[in-house]
Amino acid sequence: MSVINFDFRNEVINHNASLSYCYQCSTCSGGCPVALLTNGKYNPRKIIEEAILGLQEKLVESQDPNPWLCSTCQKCVELCPQKVELTEIFTLIKNKCFEKGKIPEAFSAQAQAVLENGIAIPYSKAILTRREKLKLPQVKTASLEEIKSLLKETNFEKNLMREGG
Amino acid sequence: MAFDLFLGCVIPARLPYLEVSSRKIFEKLGIDLRDVDGFSCCPDPTGIEQIDHNTWLALGARNLSLSNNNGGIISFCSGCVETLKGVNYYINKDLTVKKEVNRYLERIDKVYEGKTEVKHFAQVLYENIDKVKEKIEKPLEGFKVAIHYGCHYLRPSEIIEWDDPFEPTTIDEIVNVLGAESVDYDLKMECCGNPVEKSDKELSLTMIDNKLKAIYEAGANCVVVVCPACYQQFEFNQRELNKQKGSQYNIPIFYLSELVAIAFGFKPDELGFNFHRIKPNVLFESIGFEV
Repeated sequence: MSVINFDFRNEVINHNASLSYCYQCSTCSGGCPVALLTNGKYNPRKIIEEAILGLQEKLVESQDPNPWLCSTCQKCVELCPQKVELTEIFTLIKNKCFEKGKIPEAFSAQAQAVLENGIAIPYSKAILTRREKLKLPQVKTASLEEIKSLLKETNFEKNLMREGG
Repeated sequence: MAFDLFLGCVIPARLPYLEVSSRKIFEKLGIDLRDVDGFSCCPDPTGIEQIDHNTWLALGARNLSLSNNNGGIISFCSGCVETLKGVNYYINKDLTVKKEVNRYLERIDKVYEGKTEVKHFAQVLYENIDKVKEKIEKPLEGFKVAIHYGCHYLRPSEIIEWDDPFEPTTIDEIVNVLGAESVDYDLKMECCGNPVEKSDKELSLTMIDNKLKAIYEAGANCVVVVCPACYQQFEFNQRELNKQKGSQYNIPIFYLSELVAIAFGFKPDELGFNFHRIKPNVLFESIGFEV
Protein backbone atom coordinates (compact mmCIF):
# COMPACT_ATOMS: atom_id res chain seq x y z
CA MET A 1 0.00 0.00 0.00
CA SER A 2 1.21 3.51 -0.77
CA VAL A 3 1.61 5.67 2.32
CA ILE A 4 0.67 9.35 2.30
CA ASN A 5 3.33 11.64 3.76
CA PHE A 6 1.34 14.71 4.79
CA ASP A 7 4.36 16.89 5.51
CA PHE A 8 5.74 16.14 2.07
CA ARG A 9 2.37 16.81 0.46
CA ASN A 10 2.11 20.21 2.16
CA GLU A 11 5.64 21.10 1.28
CA VAL A 12 5.11 20.45 -2.43
CA ILE A 13 1.80 22.33 -2.53
CA ASN A 14 3.29 25.27 -0.62
CA HIS A 15 6.24 25.34 -2.96
CA ASN A 16 4.09 25.38 -6.06
CA ALA A 17 0.36 25.89 -5.72
CA SER A 18 -0.25 25.24 -9.42
CA LEU A 19 -0.15 21.55 -8.53
CA SER A 20 -3.69 21.76 -7.09
CA TYR A 21 -5.12 22.65 -10.47
CA CYS A 22 -4.21 19.35 -12.18
CA TYR A 23 -7.28 17.39 -13.24
CA GLN A 24 -5.28 14.46 -14.62
CA CYS A 25 -6.23 14.93 -18.26
CA SER A 26 -2.90 13.45 -19.44
CA THR A 27 -2.16 16.14 -22.02
CA CYS A 28 1.35 16.26 -20.53
CA SER A 29 2.02 12.56 -21.04
CA GLY A 30 0.47 12.63 -24.51
CA GLY A 31 2.93 15.31 -25.63
CA CYS A 32 5.96 13.95 -23.77
CA PRO A 33 8.72 12.57 -26.04
CA VAL A 34 10.10 10.42 -23.22
CA ALA A 35 6.76 8.96 -22.07
CA LEU A 36 6.23 7.92 -25.68
CA LEU A 37 9.36 5.77 -25.62
CA THR A 38 9.61 4.40 -22.09
CA ASN A 39 6.55 2.23 -21.57
CA GLY A 40 5.55 3.55 -18.13
CA LYS A 41 9.05 4.07 -16.72
CA TYR A 42 8.50 7.80 -17.18
CA ASN A 43 5.10 9.46 -17.10
CA PRO A 44 4.65 13.13 -16.14
CA ARG A 45 0.94 12.76 -15.30
CA LYS A 46 1.70 9.98 -12.86
CA ILE A 47 4.45 11.97 -11.13
CA ILE A 48 1.99 14.85 -10.66
CA GLU A 49 -0.65 12.45 -9.33
CA GLU A 50 1.80 11.06 -6.77
CA ALA A 51 2.80 14.60 -5.80
CA ILE A 52 -0.83 15.61 -5.25
CA LEU A 53 -1.31 12.57 -3.05
CA GLY A 54 1.95 13.12 -1.16
CA LEU A 55 3.49 9.75 -1.99
CA GLN A 56 7.00 10.69 -0.89
CA GLU A 57 8.15 7.08 -0.75
CA LYS A 58 7.25 6.45 -4.39
CA LEU A 59 8.61 9.76 -5.68
CA VAL A 60 11.85 10.04 -3.74
CA GLU A 61 12.76 6.57 -2.45
CA SER A 62 11.68 4.18 -5.20
CA GLN A 63 11.49 6.85 -7.94
CA ASP A 64 8.60 5.20 -9.74
CA PRO A 65 8.11 6.74 -12.31
CA ASN A 66 11.71 7.87 -12.57
CA PRO A 67 11.86 11.71 -12.52
CA TRP A 68 15.46 11.67 -13.84
CA LEU A 69 14.19 10.59 -17.24
CA CYS A 70 12.58 14.00 -17.85
CA SER A 71 14.43 15.53 -20.80
CA THR A 72 13.50 19.05 -19.58
CA CYS A 73 12.07 19.81 -23.05
CA GLN A 74 9.32 21.85 -21.32
CA LYS A 75 6.61 20.75 -23.72
CA CYS A 76 4.32 19.62 -20.90
CA VAL A 77 4.49 23.06 -19.30
CA GLU A 78 3.47 24.73 -22.55
CA LEU A 79 0.68 22.23 -23.24
CA CYS A 80 -0.98 21.99 -19.82
CA PRO A 81 -4.51 23.42 -20.03
CA GLN A 82 -4.45 24.11 -16.29
CA LYS A 83 -1.08 25.90 -16.33
CA VAL A 84 0.44 23.45 -13.88
CA GLU A 85 4.16 24.22 -13.66
CA LEU A 86 5.18 20.61 -14.11
CA THR A 87 8.91 21.00 -14.55
CA GLU A 88 9.17 23.25 -11.48
CA ILE A 89 7.47 20.51 -9.49
CA PHE A 90 9.75 17.85 -10.99
CA THR A 91 12.73 20.00 -10.06
CA LEU A 92 11.55 20.14 -6.45
CA ILE A 93 11.15 16.35 -6.38
CA LYS A 94 14.63 15.83 -7.83
CA ASN A 95 16.03 18.35 -5.35
CA LYS A 96 14.47 16.19 -2.60
CA CYS A 97 16.18 13.14 -4.11
CA PHE A 98 19.48 15.06 -4.00
CA GLU A 99 19.02 15.80 -0.29
CA LYS A 100 18.71 12.05 0.23
CA GLY A 101 21.71 11.27 -1.92
CA LYS A 102 19.58 9.50 -4.52
CA ILE A 103 20.73 10.94 -7.83
CA PRO A 104 22.26 9.38 -10.95
CA GLU A 105 26.05 9.30 -10.96
CA ALA A 106 26.44 11.69 -13.91
CA PHE A 107 24.63 14.44 -11.99
CA SER A 108 26.90 14.16 -8.97
CA ALA A 109 29.95 14.07 -11.25
CA GLN A 110 28.88 17.37 -12.81
CA ALA A 111 28.16 18.84 -9.37
CA GLN A 112 31.60 17.77 -8.15
CA ALA A 113 33.23 19.39 -11.19
CA VAL A 114 31.46 22.69 -10.53
CA LEU A 115 32.39 22.56 -6.86
CA GLU A 116 36.05 21.89 -7.62
CA ASN A 117 36.53 24.09 -10.70
CA GLY A 118 33.72 26.62 -10.75
CA ILE A 119 32.89 25.32 -14.23
CA ALA A 120 31.37 22.01 -15.34
CA ILE A 121 34.17 21.21 -17.79
CA PRO A 122 37.65 22.19 -16.65
CA TYR A 123 40.07 23.40 -19.35
CA SER A 124 42.44 20.55 -20.24
CA LYS A 125 45.98 21.21 -21.49
CA ALA A 126 44.99 19.92 -24.94
CA ILE A 127 42.08 22.34 -25.14
CA LEU A 128 44.19 25.28 -24.00
CA THR A 129 46.67 24.47 -26.78
CA ARG A 130 43.84 24.16 -29.28
CA ARG A 131 42.42 27.50 -28.17
CA GLU A 132 45.80 29.10 -28.71
CA LYS A 133 46.06 27.55 -32.17
CA LEU A 134 42.61 28.88 -33.00
CA LYS A 135 43.73 32.34 -31.75
CA LEU A 136 41.06 32.41 -29.05
CA PRO A 137 41.66 34.58 -25.98
CA GLN A 138 42.33 33.16 -22.54
CA VAL A 139 39.40 33.90 -20.31
CA LYS A 140 39.71 33.97 -16.55
CA THR A 141 37.01 31.94 -14.82
CA ALA A 142 35.56 32.46 -11.34
CA SER A 143 37.64 32.63 -8.20
CA LEU A 144 37.34 29.20 -6.56
CA GLU A 145 37.38 30.69 -3.13
CA GLU A 146 34.33 32.76 -4.01
CA ILE A 147 32.45 29.80 -5.50
CA LYS A 148 33.24 27.64 -2.46
CA SER A 149 31.95 30.32 -0.04
CA LEU A 150 28.78 30.72 -2.08
CA LEU A 151 28.14 26.97 -2.26
CA LYS A 152 28.66 26.65 1.47
CA GLU A 153 25.83 29.16 1.96
CA THR A 154 23.46 27.00 -0.13
CA ASN A 155 24.49 23.73 1.59
CA PHE A 156 25.49 22.34 -1.79
CA GLU A 157 28.68 20.68 -0.63
CA LYS A 158 26.99 19.11 2.39
CA ASN A 159 24.25 17.59 0.24
CA LEU A 160 26.71 16.42 -2.36
CA MET A 161 28.64 14.49 0.28
CA ARG A 162 25.45 12.56 1.00
CA GLU A 163 25.64 11.12 -2.49
CA GLY A 164 25.00 7.39 -2.48
CA GLY A 165 22.94 7.95 0.67
CA MET B 1 26.24 47.87 -30.13
CA ALA B 2 28.04 45.92 -27.41
CA PHE B 3 27.39 42.90 -25.22
CA ASP B 4 29.19 41.10 -22.42
CA LEU B 5 30.06 37.64 -23.71
CA PHE B 6 29.04 34.72 -21.50
CA LEU B 7 30.93 31.70 -22.85
CA GLY B 8 29.77 28.98 -20.47
CA CYS B 9 31.56 25.62 -20.33
CA VAL B 10 30.85 23.31 -23.27
CA ILE B 11 31.83 25.60 -26.15
CA PRO B 12 35.08 27.12 -24.81
CA ALA B 13 36.30 24.00 -23.01
CA ARG B 14 35.24 21.28 -25.41
CA LEU B 15 34.20 22.75 -28.77
CA PRO B 16 36.36 25.89 -29.11
CA TYR B 17 36.09 25.84 -32.91
CA LEU B 18 32.42 26.82 -32.53
CA GLU B 19 33.57 29.87 -30.57
CA VAL B 20 35.76 30.91 -33.51
CA SER B 21 32.93 31.31 -36.02
CA SER B 22 30.70 32.90 -33.39
CA ARG B 23 33.25 35.58 -32.55
CA LYS B 24 34.13 36.23 -36.20
CA ILE B 25 30.60 36.87 -37.41
CA PHE B 26 29.85 39.43 -34.72
CA GLU B 27 33.13 41.19 -35.40
CA LYS B 28 32.17 41.35 -39.07
CA LEU B 29 28.76 42.75 -38.11
CA GLY B 30 30.39 45.45 -36.02
CA ILE B 31 28.79 44.15 -32.84
CA ASP B 32 31.26 44.29 -29.99
CA LEU B 33 31.46 41.21 -27.73
CA ARG B 34 33.44 41.93 -24.59
CA ASP B 35 35.12 39.22 -22.53
CA VAL B 36 34.41 39.36 -18.83
CA ASP B 37 36.68 37.79 -16.22
CA GLY B 38 35.27 35.72 -13.40
CA PHE B 39 32.23 33.89 -14.75
CA SER B 40 31.50 30.40 -13.39
CA CYS B 41 29.34 27.65 -14.91
CA CYS B 42 25.96 29.25 -15.75
CA PRO B 43 25.02 26.60 -14.17
CA ASP B 44 23.47 23.86 -16.33
CA PRO B 45 19.66 23.99 -16.27
CA THR B 46 19.51 20.27 -17.12
CA GLY B 47 22.09 19.37 -14.44
CA ILE B 48 22.72 21.61 -11.42
CA GLU B 49 19.21 23.09 -11.37
CA GLN B 50 17.74 19.60 -11.28
CA ILE B 51 19.64 18.70 -8.11
CA ASP B 52 19.70 22.05 -6.31
CA HIS B 53 17.53 24.94 -7.42
CA ASN B 54 18.95 27.36 -4.83
CA THR B 55 22.55 26.70 -5.84
CA TRP B 56 21.52 27.23 -9.44
CA LEU B 57 19.94 30.58 -8.50
CA ALA B 58 22.96 31.67 -6.47
CA LEU B 59 25.59 30.86 -9.11
CA GLY B 60 23.43 32.29 -11.89
CA ALA B 61 22.80 35.53 -9.99
CA ARG B 62 26.52 35.87 -9.26
CA ASN B 63 27.26 35.58 -12.99
CA LEU B 64 24.57 38.12 -13.88
CA SER B 65 25.93 40.52 -11.26
CA LEU B 66 29.29 40.63 -13.11
CA SER B 67 27.82 42.18 -16.25
CA ASN B 68 28.47 45.85 -16.80
CA ASN B 69 25.03 45.96 -18.26
CA ASN B 70 25.54 48.00 -21.41
CA GLY B 71 23.44 45.94 -23.76
CA GLY B 72 23.51 43.06 -21.29
CA ILE B 73 24.80 39.53 -21.82
CA ILE B 74 25.01 37.51 -25.03
CA SER B 75 25.64 33.76 -25.06
CA PHE B 76 26.32 31.19 -27.79
CA CYS B 77 24.60 28.48 -25.71
CA SER B 78 20.87 27.88 -25.26
CA GLY B 79 21.42 26.27 -21.86
CA CYS B 80 23.29 29.30 -20.52
CA VAL B 81 20.61 31.61 -21.91
CA GLU B 82 17.84 29.59 -20.27
CA THR B 83 19.63 29.62 -16.93
CA LEU B 84 20.44 33.32 -16.94
CA LYS B 85 16.96 34.30 -18.14
CA GLY B 86 15.46 31.83 -15.66
CA VAL B 87 17.34 33.30 -12.70
CA ASN B 88 16.12 36.76 -13.73
CA TYR B 89 12.58 35.38 -13.98
CA TYR B 90 12.52 33.87 -10.48
CA ILE B 91 14.22 36.87 -8.88
CA ASN B 92 11.83 39.36 -10.45
CA LYS B 93 8.74 37.23 -9.84
CA ASP B 94 9.16 36.77 -6.12
CA LEU B 95 10.68 39.26 -3.70
CA THR B 96 11.46 36.55 -1.14
CA VAL B 97 13.55 34.72 -3.77
CA LYS B 98 15.41 37.95 -4.55
CA LYS B 99 16.12 38.50 -0.87
CA GLU B 100 17.25 34.91 -0.34
CA VAL B 101 19.57 35.03 -3.35
CA ASN B 102 21.08 38.31 -2.17
CA ARG B 103 21.57 36.82 1.28
CA TYR B 104 23.77 34.16 -0.42
CA LEU B 105 25.57 36.81 -2.50
CA GLU B 106 26.25 38.97 0.55
CA ARG B 107 28.68 36.29 1.70
CA ILE B 108 30.89 37.11 -1.31
CA ASP B 109 30.22 40.88 -1.28
CA LYS B 110 27.99 40.91 -4.31
CA VAL B 111 24.51 42.21 -5.00
CA TYR B 112 22.14 41.41 -7.84
CA GLU B 113 18.99 43.40 -8.56
CA GLY B 114 17.69 41.31 -11.45
CA LYS B 115 18.24 43.85 -14.21
CA THR B 116 20.83 42.33 -16.57
CA GLU B 117 19.31 41.59 -19.97
CA VAL B 118 20.23 38.28 -21.60
CA LYS B 119 20.15 37.36 -25.29
CA HIS B 120 20.85 34.26 -27.34
CA PHE B 121 23.25 34.92 -30.22
CA ALA B 122 20.61 33.77 -32.72
CA GLN B 123 18.26 36.41 -31.33
CA VAL B 124 20.89 39.10 -31.86
CA LEU B 125 21.45 37.85 -35.42
CA TYR B 126 17.72 37.92 -36.07
CA GLU B 127 17.39 41.42 -34.69
CA ASN B 128 20.18 42.51 -37.03
CA ILE B 129 19.03 40.53 -40.05
CA ASP B 130 19.43 43.48 -42.44
CA LYS B 131 23.08 43.84 -41.44
CA VAL B 132 23.51 40.08 -41.91
CA LYS B 133 22.05 40.37 -45.39
CA GLU B 134 24.50 43.15 -46.31
CA LYS B 135 27.54 41.08 -45.34
CA ILE B 136 26.76 38.01 -47.41
CA GLU B 137 29.45 37.28 -49.98
CA LYS B 138 28.71 33.63 -50.75
CA PRO B 139 25.03 32.67 -50.69
CA LEU B 140 24.64 29.06 -49.49
CA GLU B 141 23.25 27.61 -52.69
CA GLY B 142 22.57 23.88 -52.57
CA PHE B 143 22.43 23.72 -48.77
CA LYS B 144 19.34 21.77 -47.71
CA VAL B 145 19.28 22.48 -44.02
CA ALA B 146 17.38 20.54 -41.36
CA ILE B 147 16.98 23.10 -38.59
CA HIS B 148 16.99 21.80 -35.05
CA TYR B 149 15.76 24.63 -32.82
CA GLY B 150 16.27 22.66 -29.62
CA CYS B 151 14.05 22.97 -26.56
CA HIS B 152 15.83 25.57 -24.48
CA TYR B 153 16.04 28.16 -27.25
CA LEU B 154 12.23 28.35 -27.03
CA ARG B 155 10.81 26.96 -23.82
CA PRO B 156 9.53 27.64 -21.22
CA SER B 157 8.15 30.54 -23.25
CA GLU B 158 7.23 32.43 -20.09
CA ILE B 159 10.94 32.61 -19.25
CA ILE B 160 12.54 32.72 -22.71
CA GLU B 161 10.10 35.24 -24.23
CA TRP B 162 11.44 34.71 -27.72
CA ASP B 163 9.87 33.14 -30.84
CA ASP B 164 6.93 30.70 -30.76
CA PRO B 165 7.37 27.69 -28.44
CA PHE B 166 5.97 25.23 -31.00
CA GLU B 167 6.03 26.99 -34.37
CA PRO B 168 9.22 29.00 -34.36
CA THR B 169 10.41 30.91 -37.43
CA THR B 170 13.48 32.95 -36.47
CA ILE B 171 16.18 30.46 -37.46
CA ASP B 172 14.29 29.48 -40.62
CA GLU B 173 14.37 33.13 -41.62
CA ILE B 174 18.09 33.47 -40.92
CA VAL B 175 18.85 30.28 -42.88
CA ASN B 176 16.78 31.56 -45.82
CA VAL B 177 18.53 34.92 -45.77
CA LEU B 178 21.85 33.07 -46.10
CA GLY B 179 20.61 31.60 -49.36
CA ALA B 180 20.11 28.10 -48.00
CA GLU B 181 16.89 26.10 -48.09
CA SER B 182 15.25 25.08 -44.80
CA VAL B 183 13.92 21.55 -45.22
CA ASP B 184 10.87 20.68 -43.18
CA TYR B 185 10.97 17.29 -41.48
CA ASP B 186 8.90 15.12 -39.19
CA LEU B 187 10.02 15.49 -35.54
CA LYS B 188 11.53 18.93 -36.25
CA MET B 189 10.31 20.18 -32.89
CA GLU B 190 11.32 17.11 -30.88
CA CYS B 191 14.05 17.07 -28.23
CA CYS B 192 17.45 15.75 -29.37
CA GLY B 193 17.69 13.59 -26.23
CA ASN B 194 20.95 14.99 -24.88
CA PRO B 195 19.76 15.73 -21.32
CA VAL B 196 18.63 12.15 -20.64
CA GLU B 197 22.08 10.83 -21.51
CA LYS B 198 22.94 11.47 -17.85
CA SER B 199 20.34 8.94 -16.70
CA ASP B 200 19.66 6.62 -19.66
CA LYS B 201 22.17 6.47 -22.52
CA GLU B 202 20.09 4.05 -24.58
CA LEU B 203 16.99 6.25 -24.42
CA SER B 204 19.09 9.25 -25.42
CA LEU B 205 20.39 7.33 -28.46
CA THR B 206 16.88 6.27 -29.49
CA MET B 207 15.75 9.90 -29.45
CA ILE B 208 18.57 11.11 -31.69
CA ASP B 209 18.22 8.05 -33.93
CA ASN B 210 14.57 8.90 -34.58
CA LYS B 211 15.44 12.50 -35.41
CA LEU B 212 18.24 11.54 -37.78
CA LYS B 213 15.96 9.05 -39.56
CA ALA B 214 13.38 11.79 -40.13
CA ILE B 215 16.07 14.20 -41.35
CA TYR B 216 17.36 11.66 -43.88
CA GLU B 217 13.85 10.89 -45.06
CA ALA B 218 13.21 14.58 -45.71
CA GLY B 219 16.28 14.80 -47.96
CA ALA B 220 18.30 17.35 -45.99
CA ASN B 221 22.07 17.43 -46.61
CA CYS B 222 23.09 19.09 -43.34
CA VAL B 223 21.76 19.99 -39.89
CA VAL B 224 22.02 23.33 -38.11
CA VAL B 225 21.85 23.78 -34.34
CA VAL B 226 22.15 26.68 -31.88
CA CYS B 227 23.07 24.80 -28.70
CA PRO B 228 26.30 22.94 -27.87
CA ALA B 229 24.44 20.12 -26.10
CA CYS B 230 22.35 19.48 -29.22
CA TYR B 231 25.52 19.82 -31.32
CA GLN B 232 27.27 17.06 -29.39
CA GLN B 233 24.20 14.87 -29.47
CA PHE B 234 23.95 15.10 -33.27
CA GLU B 235 27.64 15.09 -34.12
CA PHE B 236 29.07 12.57 -31.65
CA ASN B 237 26.38 9.90 -31.84
CA GLN B 238 26.18 9.20 -35.56
CA ARG B 239 29.17 6.88 -35.51
CA GLU B 240 27.90 5.25 -32.32
CA LEU B 241 24.52 4.56 -33.92
CA ASN B 242 26.16 3.21 -37.08
CA LYS B 243 28.17 0.81 -34.96
CA GLN B 244 25.26 -0.29 -32.77
CA LYS B 245 22.40 -0.36 -35.23
CA GLY B 246 24.01 -0.67 -38.64
CA SER B 247 22.74 2.73 -39.82
CA GLN B 248 24.87 4.80 -42.18
CA TYR B 249 24.55 8.30 -40.82
CA ASN B 250 27.14 10.76 -42.06
CA ILE B 251 25.42 14.14 -42.17
CA PRO B 252 27.42 17.26 -41.29
CA ILE B 253 26.27 19.28 -38.27
CA PHE B 254 26.78 23.03 -38.39
CA TYR B 255 26.51 25.60 -35.67
CA LEU B 256 24.37 28.48 -36.96
CA SER B 257 27.40 30.75 -36.59
CA GLU B 258 29.37 28.49 -38.95
CA LEU B 259 26.75 28.75 -41.69
CA VAL B 260 26.70 32.52 -41.29
CA ALA B 261 30.52 32.60 -41.34
CA ILE B 262 30.86 30.71 -44.63
CA ALA B 263 28.16 32.87 -46.17
CA PHE B 264 30.21 35.88 -45.03
CA GLY B 265 33.17 34.46 -46.97
CA PHE B 266 35.29 33.04 -44.15
CA LYS B 267 37.31 29.95 -45.10
CA PRO B 268 36.82 26.50 -43.49
CA ASP B 269 40.50 26.49 -42.43
CA GLU B 270 40.22 29.68 -40.40
CA LEU B 271 36.98 28.40 -38.82
CA GLY B 272 38.49 25.13 -37.60
CA PHE B 273 36.16 22.93 -39.68
CA ASN B 274 38.84 20.21 -39.53
CA PHE B 275 37.79 19.61 -35.91
CA HIS B 276 34.35 18.39 -36.97
CA ARG B 277 33.98 14.63 -36.72
CA ILE B 278 31.81 14.60 -39.83
CA LYS B 279 33.79 16.68 -42.28
CA PRO B 280 31.77 19.40 -44.02
CA ASN B 281 34.06 19.45 -47.08
CA VAL B 282 32.40 16.25 -48.38
CA LEU B 283 29.14 18.23 -48.58
CA PHE B 284 30.83 21.26 -50.17
CA GLU B 285 32.25 19.02 -52.90
CA SER B 286 29.01 17.13 -53.52
CA ILE B 287 26.98 20.30 -54.07
CA GLY B 288 29.75 22.16 -55.88
CA PHE B 289 30.08 24.86 -53.22
CA GLU B 290 33.49 26.47 -53.61
CA VAL B 291 34.97 27.65 -50.36
